[in-house]
Amino acid sequence: MTIRKLTRMQLGQATLRSFFLQGSWSFERMQSLGALTVLAPGLRALYRGDARARAFRRHLTYFNTHPYMAGLVLGTVLRLEEKESRGEESYLDAVEFREMIMAPYAAIGDALFWGGLRPLAAVIALFFAAKELVWAPLIFLGIFNVPHLAFRCIGLPAGYFRGLKMIDFIQRRRLPDLAIRLKEGALILLGALCAYLVFLGLGQEKVATAWGLVVPPAILVMTWLVRKGISPLLLIFTVTALVVAFGQLI
Amino acid sequence: MTAVDFFLSALVAVVCGLDRTAACQFMLARPIVAAPLAGLVLGDPLIGLQIGFLLELLWIGRLPVGAAIPPDDTQVAVAGTLLAIFLGREIDVALPTATLLALLIAMPLGKMGQLFERAARHRNDRLIRQAQAALAAGRTDQMEKIHRRGLLGFGGASLATFACIVLPGMGLAAASGPSLGPVFGKVATWLWLAFPLAGTAVVLGTINVKRSVTLFGTSFTGALLMLWLS
Repeated sequence: MTIRKLTRMQLGQATLRSFFLQGSWSFERMQSLGALTVLAPGLRALYRGDARARAFRRHLTYFNTHPYMAGLVLGTVLRLEEKESRGEESYLDAVEFREMIMAPYAAIGDALFWGGLRPLAAVIALFFAAKELVWAPLIFLGIFNVPHLAFRCIGLPAGYFRGLKMIDFIQRRRLPDLAIRLKEGALILLGALCAYLVFLGLGQEKVATAWGLVVPPAILVMTWLVRKGISPLLLIFTVTALVVAFGQLI
Repeated sequence: MTAVDFFLSALVAVVCGLDRTAACQFMLARPIVAAPLAGLVLGDPLIGLQIGFLLELLWIGRLPVGAAIPPDDTQVAVAGTLLAIFLGREIDVALPTATLLALLIAMPLGKMGQLFERAARHRNDRLIRQAQAALAAGRTDQMEKIHRRGLLGFGGASLATFACIVLPGMGLAAASGPSLGPVFGKVATWLWLAFPLAGTAVVLGTINVKRSVTLFGTSFTGALLMLWLS
């Protein structure tokens, strides 16, 4: 007999597997095989025989989204598969849904987690590292992973229980706006951190603090070079060469 | 440096390397975590913290978006920590010069990491073919097993990158340490400042925020003036 409803245990298993979503990341299909591995316990519970093999085949297609957002997508996919296995109609099937939603969710995740939360957590931790406190990495891990893990652990079950309503739910949270606020916060803290480092450096070399005001224009010149396409590696070697040459002159 | 040191740092390199893309992504792979962790197992977490501090600021703005493979800052962090400790213990280069020199050696060598990671991802294309063949034969039970093989590729790429930084890096450190150490030592404070400031320029050059320069500039100036007044 075919089981028609997924258990909490199966959802938990899928959630745990989502932590290894990118284990077989490939250029050809990106997270495809990883996503299938996440869905596998659910698909096995919902289908038998040929129907199961067909379900597996339709999910071994191109898939790529932000790894932390994947749970939301795949949870909803499981809900849609569950409906399909019962023969219920839906205006979107599971494959159409994942193809439609993976790119927007990837953009949201990239901006929120990679572009916003990670730099903010890092800059806060760098203040502690600048004071040579060895537990600075724990600060970084704590600030980043509390929201990250909450999002990831709740994501797949939430996607499953809310189904297609998840799209509206995420839209109402205005996550792209939050990402911009986090980036702005990171920039402000980065400015303060640089000022602190410059203040320390000038103090060590017994140079007047006012000379620190020369630093923002120097950073702007380097920013302009980066925007013109110079690599960070070349930039750091050029700056090192200039500093060493300056040291030889004085 | 003992064989145990190499083994332990290679272990950190693989664990953090897997965290980078293939497994979990708890951010153990970030330089601010990976380098102090390597320092901890090598008995000098403070050197790791210094390496992590400089690298994190330098590469804070590089994002692993889509198919783009950013520089392997994880292996540069772990191997850079090992090289800095090697420079300090074996070549007698003082801190923070050893840290700076280790990074300047490790960063260009770390470019090879992108090649290894690319190779691992290309190798995974074969896994898709294996999965298709298994499904065609009705073997749905094989998917997890095939998927897990991908982790081996990523772990191997991490180890290869680590070795490609450490082995030539130690030769370069031994050759250049005695001569460049005093030269860098003379301007160590300025070099120590130059790394984060260059990293900040990279962030400002790549971050997608309106008025980023205004936000940074105001914050910098305000904080510097406050420190001056304090």
